[in-house]
Amino acid sequence: MHSSSRSAGSGTWSPPPGAEVLAPLDPSLFAPGPERDARFDVKERWVDCANFPDGHPKQVVEFLHRQMNEEIDSLESSARNLCDFPAADWEVRMCLARQCYDEARHSQMFRNLFEKRGGTVGEYPVLNFQYRIITRFANLAARLAIQNRSFEAGGLDAITAGIQQTRADGDEELCALYEAQIADEISHVRFANEWIRKLSQADPRNLLAIGQAMKAASLAFAQVMGREGTEGVSYPADREGRLEAGFTPEEVAFTASLMAEKR
Amino acid sequence: MGLSVKDRGEAVATLRHVHVELMEMLAQWTPSAPEMEVKLLFGEHIWNVAQHADALGKRAHELRLPPQHSLPPVEPYAKLLAQVRAERDTARRLAAFYDALLPGLAKRYRDYLARTDALMDAPTVRILEQMLDIESRMVAQSKTLRSEIPALAKAERAWVDALVEQERRVGNLVATAGS
Repeated sequence: MHSSSRSAGSGTWSPPPGAEVLAPLDPSLFAPGPERDARFDVKERWVDCANFPDGHPKQVVEFLHRQMNEEIDSLESSARNLCDFPAADWEVRMCLARQCYDEARHSQMFRNLFEKRGGTVGEYPVLNFQYRIITRFANLAARLAIQNRSFEAGGLDAITAGIQQTRADGDEELCALYEAQIADEISHVRFANEWIRKLSQADPRNLLAIGQAMKAASLAFAQVMGREGTEGVSYPADREGRLEAGFTPEEVAFTASLMAEKR
Repeated sequence: MGLSVKDRGEAVATLRHVHVELMEMLAQWTPSAPEMEVKLLFGEHIWNVAQHADALGKRAHELRLPPQHSLPPVEPYAKLLAQVRAERDTARRLAAFYDALLPGLAKRYRDYLARTDALMDAPTVRILEQMLDIESRMVAQSKTLRSEIPALAKAERAWVDALVEQERRVGNLVATAGS
């Protein structure tokens, strides 16, 4: 889960009358998307999704559907890392294989809860921007930096906030799902932190690749989300989770101060 | 006469190579298979075959080969793997993987278990018995999925039978055994 998963929009997935016509996404920032079956309506921008406002009766169920698909994106990105980097160290390949399993389970967990609450797969539009941003880069360290160390690390903050909110709301089922999910995600961020350091020590050019990739990914993310998808969406840094996930105390303090400024 | 340590090491390292290829095959198919339920099945099975490759790689080291050492299989089997990996249709992918490759490997594990010394080679026996259990469960899961979504069970029977026969004809997978 990351900030794209939070609802803050108009409550409809048809652009409102008179809405600003947005320029197409810059194709140089995105790889081709993954396959989806005919049930899915794949959109390119956050504003084209079903962004129900807080408190709307469909907000949570739409979120479960969106999250189900984003976990598939994570599965697909990890799978691509396994087949695109056959010469990578076996130890990191094992971590990636495990991540495939975890993300598949997460997707099924979200689907089960979504259907239990009356949803039908394909009922709402989905975005595949994660896969399209991550797999654009042909460098494993860069992909780990974007997928695990950025998207998933941001997810730690969002999930922790979600745990607090669902507990306050008395939504024990979703709270239990989040608690199981965050334990897995911490492991994914941790192995990425370890391997980014190892890969960068082994070949400092990886640091340059990470920097270039992060800059391009940031541009791509901004195009997908737009102002509507990011304004007013921020969570306090999950200091404990980030430390468990292998960030240094200095990195955690820096992230916390940035997020506090944003809030 | 039974298998020597060298024979065992080569067989284990060859099976490791095959399992790394199976992992990469499922990983390649995950984004390109449209069906959500198939992607999720592959996600779990990627982890299963990776664990098998890992266990075989550790065992290969115990059998005096380098850690996580792999030996490519004989050419006809390598070609078969490449041919299956190139399949585009989901129903054919499922049939090839779960009706031809995994059952063919299960026969090979049983053949190895019949030939090796169950005491001297007990760690390999334990790994292969666990693999038989988990891979038969993978086959069962694929059958359940194909019964739930009949479009996934539409691979032509004659095509599957030919693939099974192609796999059977390969014989010993170990390239250094001269087969």
